[in-house]
Amino acid sequence: MNITHRTTVLLIAAATALLAQPTVAPTPEPVGRARGEDAGNYNITNSFELGYRFHSVGGNEDAYRSDVNFGNGIRLLGSTLSVNSKEGHGKFFDEILLNTQGLGNDPYQFSSLRIQHNRWYRYDMNWRISDFVNPGLNFLPTSHAQNTRRMWQDHDLTVMPQSSFQLLMGYSRNSQNGPGLFTQNLFDQHRGDEFPIFADINRRQREFRLGGQIQSSRFRLMLMRGWQRYEEDSPLSLGASMGVNTTDATELSSFRLSAPYSGDTPFWRGNMFGEAGRSLAVNGHFTYAGTRRDFVSEESAIGTNRFGAANNRQFFVGGTGTRPVTTANLTFSLFPVEAVTITNHSAFHQIQMNGNASMTQILNGSSGLALVEFRQLGIRSIVNTTDAMIRPAKWIGLRAGYQFSSRRVESVEAETIGAFSDGTNYAQTNRVHAGLLGIRLQPVKPLTFNFDAEIGRANRPFLPISEKNYHAFGARAQYKQGSLLLSAAIRTNYNTNSVSLFSHSSHSRNYALDASWAPRRWFAFDSGYGKQHLNTLTGIAYFASGQFDDTQNSLYVSNVHSGHAAVRFSLQQRIDFSLGYTRVQDTGDGRSLLLSGTGAFPEFQVLPLSFDSPQARVSISLHQRLRLNFGYQYYRYAEEFSALRNYRAHTGFTSMLWSF
Amino acid sequence: MTKILFRGFLLCLPMLAAPQATAPSPGGYVGSNACKTCHADVWANFYKNPHFKSIASGTEAPEKTGCESCHGPAKAHLEAGGGKATIRAFSEMQPVQVLNGCLACHEKQIGRAQIRRSSHTQADVACNSCHSVHRPNSTKTLLAKKQTELCYGCHNSVRSQFAMPHKHRVNEGSMQCVDCHNPHGSPSPTWRVGLRPRMVETTRDGEEPCLRCHTDKRGPFAFEHAALRVDGCGSCHSPHGSMNPRMLKRPVVFTVCLECHNGATSFGKSGAGIPTQSSSHNMNDPRYRNCTTCHVRIHGSNSDPQFLR
Repeated sequence: MNITHRTTVLLIAAATALLAQPTVAPTPEPVGRARGEDAGNYNITNSFELGYRFHSVGGNEDAYRSDVNFGNGIRLLGSTLSVNSKEGHGKFFDEILLNTQGLGNDPYQFSSLRIQHNRWYRYDMNWRISDFVNPGLNFLPTSHAQNTRRMWQDHDLTVMPQSSFQLLMGYSRNSQNGPGLFTQNLFDQHRGDEFPIFADINRRQREFRLGGQIQSSRFRLMLMRGWQRYEEDSPLSLGASMGVNTTDATELSSFRLSAPYSGDTPFWRGNMFGEAGRSLAVNGHFTYAGTRRDFVSEESAIGTNRFGAANNRQFFVGGTGTRPVTTANLTFSLFPVEAVTITNHSAFHQIQMNGNASMTQILNGSSGLALVEFRQLGIRSIVNTTDAMIRPAKWIGLRAGYQFSSRRVESVEAETIGAFSDGTNYAQTNRVHAGLLGIRLQPVKPLTFNFDAEIGRANRPFLPISEKNYHAFGARAQYKQGSLLLSAAIRTNYNTNSVSLFSHSSHSRNYALDASWAPRRWFAFDSGYGKQHLNTLTGIAYFASGQFDDTQNSLYVSNVHSGHAAVRFSLQQRIDFSLGYTRVQDTGDGRSLLLSGTGAFPEFQVLPLSFDSPQARVSISLHQRLRLNFGYQYYRYAEEFSALRNYRAHTGFTSMLWSF
Repeated sequence: MTKILFRGFLLCLPMLAAPQATAPSPGGYVGSNACKTCHADVWANFYKNPHFKSIASGTEAPEKTGCESCHGPAKAHLEAGGGKATIRAFSEMQPVQVLNGCLACHEKQIGRAQIRRSSHTQADVACNSCHSVHRPNSTKTLLAKKQTELCYGCHNSVRSQFAMPHKHRVNEGSMQCVDCHNPHGSPSPTWRVGLRPRMVETTRDGEEPCLRCHTDKRGPFAFEHAALRVDGCGSCHSPHGSMNPRMLKRPVVFTVCLECHNGATSFGKSGAGIPTQSSSHNMNDPRYRNCTTCHVRIHGSNSDPQFLR
């Protein structure tokens, strides 16, 4: 492949990737093309994009950090490395693949690594960081906030990946650390005061896995044993404070809460596949996980209550929770002829959560009675689904399915206070019958139509908003000719859940139109528009000024219009330009001012807002292996009812991309 | 005529270069060496392709080695000087034929266990709708494009949801669709009832996929919030993205809570169904409208049945 052809391939690949690039950096860098340097028996490709990010925010910077969070500084915006044995017989490895993004100090960083040697081993690693910023809601200034960093890593090693016996090993780690802000209602849980409490969040989970897999030409069996360890110790504390309720006289001198929480989850996982001839395949899968976690909580609060009386409260809790989970499923696939596929799928799921907690409160030096509570929540689900697909001709395909599911929920609520004991059991069963019909038409090769309809009936849904009597309909048309792709889709979902006093109805309708076109190697275009309509009406009940009101409704209306457009073109195969624009707008019910309802609060819930994000990027080829990139992306978040959370942000980057 | 002669000459080259590979086997298999003369562009990088392992191992049967393991015996194709009619050309195959072709080797893998009944298969979305064996975006998974772009291509409304201000960080590269979904199909979602959500994969130990990352919400807790255990996290949250803070289904917290805590169902100790709010609450006072200010452990608590601590 000569240099011109190679560059062209690179540009085409870059154009494709560009349209998929919602954030302006890193610059799309294709991999896997015919390039690289040979070193002995290996071919090596490599690229680095090193750049500088900058940003400027006007308005609520906390909201920007919650939604976007790109900052300033030097980053390794992206990098790729591939090392491949050209004959598939390397000494220690045959392939190394490494991809990274945002290393340095981006809020979203990841890297993935694969090293493998044909027949001997395959090692996969994924590592991710996400800076999670939650500034709390604007409706109450003291609502919870977090500024934490989540980190995940997964390591998997398969020994002898192509043999009939494979050994599987793995390790995963998941952690969250950083400061947080919570609230605590003290001294009177109904009429007391709320105090913001500082927390040092520290959560982590580790998992080890070990398993094996055996297979023959018609059978495969996999069995895995895993061990998880979860630990959390996030102490909370606060010094002297007046609380946030200005009309309340409650004062706090000091508050301290320590609640370590840890436990283990050993689990089993198995999978079996078998086939008989070419017309039947059977697949079975099961998992069992038995979780046990222990907890201790020690709380100390010193202050005065709303009547000015001194309060010195200590609260001790200790106990254990267990949570065995069993899942199993069995799937039969039958293919009597090539044009017909019939599957039957049965699934079983059982979970039982048991918790007992022993609580003691010491108020102003006087110890109250010890309270021992026991809770059990058990859920058992059985599902059976049969699906059939028939393709009588190339231009038509039909599908139909029926599912029956039954779920039993049981609970035990018991408590012991001194010599008094009380306990009650509850149970209910919900059965759902659901059916599905679909048809696919392809009158001419570039044009396809897909229609599907689903209807379901549940006799006892658990929640007032759960699906009870629902039906859904979907249709999609797609025209694909060469590089031109046009599609239109509609999907509706209606649900009604009515009982004697309260009713819930939900109507959602989604519409989408998309077009993409790449008529030339130097030009590509992509655009789309979607509308998502949702309205729900639900009966609610609440107390207002001591009066119980169960005559009101919660009505939520959302009309989200979204659009995106992106264009990419290049000049003389040397300079790439890309422009993109994304806008999402919720127009609510069309109002521009917040109105009051007839109840205690605005019963009509809408949140009209818009979120825009235009972007532009220029990539200049300085040399066959070197590109200079500039990018800019603007974010604008604007709520109509309140400007408290609104922000405008200018973000950009400049980088050098070196590849060989 | 010149073109035909030239093609014929090219077809003869591998016979000179590797006579042992071109000796047709009884099934009409000629070996991959015969293919690379005409399909040099495909062959040039094929050593980076996972399917190259079948050639590198040197131990696989002819019908499971290299090009012919997917495209079938090439003898007729070779003798005809090419042409899609003389070989298994995936661009000419029906979706079910593509699926059957790939599953001949890949069906036994655990992630493909439900592929026959998956929504993708039902909609005739076959393997080559997303994967490109010869022109992949990445040789790791052989996807034709970046994963999110592939999914957005059909799931337009999902693209809109991830463009919303409050969302999981898929567009930013921190997450991928397959972190929660299995595009090859998954078992029925037993953490709730009904047909949907489809294609959502459980964790390794059989839990709802949200708990793979949000390990602190898993429990067990002494006092569980039954709503999220019985009907899943989707009872309150929109998992892709939302115009509402914290990806809640409603813009304010109290409607999320009051729509269930209205006494409409009959489960639980209160006798009147899911507990209604306490008479000490006064919804005329805005401080009572943000329920989680006091009910801080709403996902489950070890200390308080009302999730106050």
